[in-house]
Amino acid sequence: MRIKKTEPTHAEIDMTPMIDIVFQLIAFFMVISNFEQTQADERVRLPTDVLAQPPTVKPAHELVLNVGFVRDPDHGIPKQGPVVFHNSQFCRITDTDSPAQVLIYNRSAERNQTVKTVPFAYRLEQEKRLFFDRGVNPAEEVTVIIRADTHVPTGLVQKLIQMSQEPFTGSDGSLQDGFAKFALKAEQASDNRAFQPRGN
Amino acid sequence: MQFRNQKPPEKMEPQMAPMIDVVFLLLIFFMCTLKIISQEGDFNINMPAVAQAQTETPKLLPDFKVRLLADVATGQLVEIRFGQRSLGTGPRAFQLLQQTIKEQIAGSPYADEIEIEIDADFDLNYEHVISAVSACTGEVTGATTEGGRRKISRFVEKIKFAPPRQSQRSSVGG
Repeated sequence: MRIKKTEPTHAEIDMTPMIDIVFQLIAFFMVISNFEQTQADERVRLPTDVLAQPPTVKPAHELVLNVGFVRDPDHGIPKQGPVVFHNSQFCRITDTDSPAQVLIYNRSAERNQTVKTVPFAYRLEQEKRLFFDRGVNPAEEVTVIIRADTHVPTGLVQKLIQMSQEPFTGSDGSLQDGFAKFALKAEQASDNRAFQPRGN
Repeated sequence: MQFRNQKPPEKMEPQMAPMIDVVFLLLIFFMCTLKIISQEGDFNINMPAVAQAQTETPKLLPDFKVRLLADVATGQLVEIRFGQRSLGTGPRAFQLLQQTIKEQIAGSPYADEIEIEIDADFDLNYEHVISAVSACTGEVTGATTEGGRRKISRFVEKIKFAPPRQSQRSSVGG
């Protein structure tokens, strides 16, 4: 009897479901990863709180102020006074409460280096004027987002708020009101950590 | 005219291997760059400059005053005072503050008008102020909303700060 020779079946893996899933995963991670330049700063460790929920409506115009410390390499409690991190510069809020210079670790030179701080009041006025020149009213349309470190003395944050409120001279020579809306940022904490200090 | 030797059109098979290579690379890239950070929320505070605030209509109720006293050296909280009443310190004091304000608001017909003034020592660590603002504004109820968020009941919307006090520390190291 002659048996009809059958061709060996080619076992092919069906790729379609795998690719489907992989694409879905990619889409997921693309959505999750946040490429937006949030003006967040690593040197600021925000306080945590249970009521801190992300705002449902994003303010139309915002100015983010990061107040924190240049910490020791071992991330200990900061010994240097708090500064405002603004446009890659260290700014002092007041001459008496903020340091005149900060010690930073220069990674490329592998040594510590002192950097002079610059007064922040002038920069803040420039920010107000910038908003004004763009046709935005600082007092009504801009929210100042304060991201202050857990260890920053409260008085300094208050002084920063006072400075933000101060009226300024617009480019047309008129006297304008400063910022009036503020938002204090905190990190979301779980319910069982209500009112617990964050520590270092 | 018919051609006899016309071949059937060749089936174009897409090359899967390079595509899968790239797709896996993308996947690994996104997985590695993923940073798990806890979400940030904010507390809104409306603080117009003093001149503006004076033009407002006189208030029906006096402000609630919350005083936060600090240890000068460490900036830690020493005592919370609600009006003249001392509430102690630590997480328990904040809960007490929350309860007290809630009780005061509950019986008041002018709940929307109530404004809380936080008066903290200059050297107090900022995190305690955030806790105080949180305790004064609302609380988390057990329920969650449809979006999976925890439901928050807010009892006070208006928070303001008293003018800053003088620092008791001699100088800032730097």
